[in-house]
Amino acid sequence: MKRRHFITTSSAVLAAGFLPSCSGKSAKPKLTVFTWADYLSDEAKAAFEKAHGCEVVIDTFDSNEAMIAKIESGATGYDILVPSSYAVKQLESKGLLQPLDQAKLPNLANIDKTYLTHALDPEMKISAPYMMAPTCAAYLKSKVPDAEPTWGLFSRADVKGRATLLDDMREVLGAALKSLGHSLNSTDPAQLEAAAALAIEWKTNIAKFENEQYKSGIASGEFHLVHGYAGDLIAVQAENGDIEIVIPKEGASFPCDDLCIPKSAKNADLAHAFINHLCDAEVAAENMEWIGYRAPNTAAYKSLTEDFRGSPILFPPDEVFAKCEPIGYLGDKLPLWTAAWEKVKNA
Amino acid sequence: MKPSRIPLFTTGIVLAFFYLPIAALVAKSFNSSRFSPEWKGFTLKWYSRLFERDDILAALVNSLKVAVIAASASMLLGTCAAFALHRYKSRLQDAHRVMVNVPLVLPDILMGMSLLLLFIAAGVSLSLATVTIAHITFCLSYVTLVVLARLQDFDPNIVEAARDLGATRLQAFRKITLPILFPGILAGGLLAFTLSIDDYVVTFFVKGPGSDTLPTLIYSMIKKSKELPVINALSTLMLLFTFLLVFASQRLTRPVNR
Repeated sequence: MKRRHFITTSSAVLAAGFLPSCSGKSAKPKLTVFTWADYLSDEAKAAFEKAHGCEVVIDTFDSNEAMIAKIESGATGYDILVPSSYAVKQLESKGLLQPLDQAKLPNLANIDKTYLTHALDPEMKISAPYMMAPTCAAYLKSKVPDAEPTWGLFSRADVKGRATLLDDMREVLGAALKSLGHSLNSTDPAQLEAAAALAIEWKTNIAKFENEQYKSGIASGEFHLVHGYAGDLIAVQAENGDIEIVIPKEGASFPCDDLCIPKSAKNADLAHAFINHLCDAEVAAENMEWIGYRAPNTAAYKSLTEDFRGSPILFPPDEVFAKCEPIGYLGDKLPLWTAAWEKVKNA
Repeated sequence: MKPSRIPLFTTGIVLAFFYLPIAALVAKSFNSSRFSPEWKGFTLKWYSRLFERDDILAALVNSLKVAVIAASASMLLGTCAAFALHRYKSRLQDAHRVMVNVPLVLPDILMGMSLLLLFIAAGVSLSLATVTIAHITFCLSYVTLVVLARLQDFDPNIVEAARDLGATRLQAFRKITLPILFPGILAGGLLAFTLSIDDYVVTFFVKGPGSDTLPTLIYSMIKKSKELPVINALSTLMLLFTFLLVFASQRLTRPVNR
């Protein structure tokens, strides 16, 4: 009997724990943000909630494509989306975004003008840039001597079988295009063909295409040269001082994630206030140090710690930064790219 | 003749295959280095960060809520479906059987997308409730199959004997049918719980603002987060909890008089 008693009481206790979840709704207005996990500092969030007497609800996605599929199907309830620039273009072309009301966004004046010259939405009509970080190469100083910061590193004989490239069409072909002096988003068939040929040359030299293991691989010294995202590589470098990160001098991709408002947003005013809040110099400075990415916000740069501002990766010299490009939206030219990438993968 | 050592070896290898990755994960949750596979010193920082991360804990609670409700509801509905399929034979039941089996082979992405379209068409706003409904939908089939298998071994004469001896329909069900089927129902429920708690694809499509579950949050954290190792810490704690639960249930279900 005792045992049965234990089971009934414990299940009753468990059930009671689940029940109250339905009640207790607050009357505060809600701003719902569909974004990446850990992509907004607690402080920036709390400050906005306090200033506007609202609650910021975060929902996360893990790929632009999955997010677009969901929004395109008609999923509503989101006031802010944080896709990468090319995905913003895609959402716009499907008519899923509403234009930004510049009058409600005085802080857009803080945005980095140099960045805007190569942004996909330079006038910020539908999106405001949020956070950006380049895609880089990283190598072990002790294993790759006299390394020049160029994409040519991936053809060096001494890294044979000890290098990785990202398993990402846009990044690898983009790097090859850059290395040949073309635009990262070129849709010229001849240029793409040449880029595919160069990527095939790299492929015969590297160990594999790799998106996750490269981080622990270079940290442990298994790989001597990797192609990876700056956010990750900077964190790996903090653990292994032998790692040197470079933005190749021919230029690299410098993708940006942007803030935009879907047509179906219920709280467009609050959403504008949120974008304006994140573009504030102090907020942007705190937020970017917390995330470890660069917010293209000129007014915020002076509030950064010297350490962060001094990063040659997030804040490369002007001549390198000028050669970097965001990843563009290919639209109906996409099959050209997938065909070239197929060729590389099957080579 | 000495007994063969082969079974012992096989058991050892299989157990190692099961538990080595888990052991690596537990070890990594105490490693101060985030990336290096080597040992860089003992730390509890991932654990202390975990308890400061309200969003991860909220996602854990969401996952548990959904899994418990989905498992209970699909145990109930799945048992009913199994009874109907077992007892009645007709063309309608044949159709029913097909419809119960289809979700087992349907790709998750199709199910997630179609449920999303259904919810949108019905004007239901996405929330934890839609996630729960979606999970019941795919868990139901598994429970039905498990209970149905149990029913096929079930001797209907026992129930008739009970009725002959004066039991009412309800008494016969409560005292005979249910206890015999219960292990099957429970097994189905546990299967449903497991499927629900690690579902990612369907959940992503039907979740709404503020209803992130653990899998959706973890997938997103892989992309930008600097604090991924807190997931190792969380997994270690969940593992510990699971072991305690299994241990407790073995204690509880042990025969009383021995």
